[in-house]
Amino acid sequence: MKEALRALNELKEKGLIRDYAIGGAIAALRWTEPFFTQDLDVFIVPSGESSGEKLIVLSPIYEYLARQGCQWQGHWLVIGGIPVDIFPADPLEEEAIREAAPVEYEGIPTRVITPEYLIPLFLRAGRDKDVRKARMLLEQADVGREKMEGVLVRYGLYERFQQLRER
Amino acid sequence: MADEPKIVIGEHVFTREDLFRQDEEARKRRAQLPFEEKIRILVELQKLARHWGGHDVIVWKI
Repeated sequence: MKEALRALNELKEKGLIRDYAIGGAIAALRWTEPFFTQDLDVFIVPSGESSGEKLIVLSPIYEYLARQGCQWQGHWLVIGGIPVDIFPADPLEEEAIREAAPVEYEGIPTRVITPEYLIPLFLRAGRDKDVRKARMLLEQADVGREKMEGVLVRYGLYERFQQLRER
Repeated sequence: MADEPKIVIGEHVFTREDLFRQDEEARKRRAQLPFEEKIRILVELQKLARHWGGHDVIVWKI
């Protein structure tokens, strides 16, 4: 885990990405009781100007990580024994990255998306397992309700949140 | 619920609702564990999953 976090921090230090934060199940796990998952989801803000192109080229990132010894396993890039999925951030994810909480793992600094953004992100993804994680966060984590509701409204997700509460 | 059966174990008397409430409180306590401890528990869960027949389960090296 430390090796994976060091590699991500290096991507930022070397300017290959502008920023990143941990999302997905591991981010949720930071705020809830532990549960099973397989991979580490990382959301990144790629370097360079956004040209509005539909094609986002991440090859330099993967080439750098491959030179550090990381290897493909299925659709994952395995960094320090951890299967990692790297996602270029869309506007909601970019905002989530900006607002991510600084967290340390055995002395290695990193940043983790907070519940106020994880819940909208899971609701947007909408799979059963995502909705379960949204529920776990609501039940177990300290969620800033006003902030979260602002995110839900801005990104058109408030109705999904209401549906979740009604179930 | 007034008619809910009570469960008696020795000196302890509780209802199913009491159990669910305690379970919820325990989950919230576990949510406060250090991040490193949660990752260690995650690895134990991965090992269990592999032991129970998940041959393609990846156990993290931490």
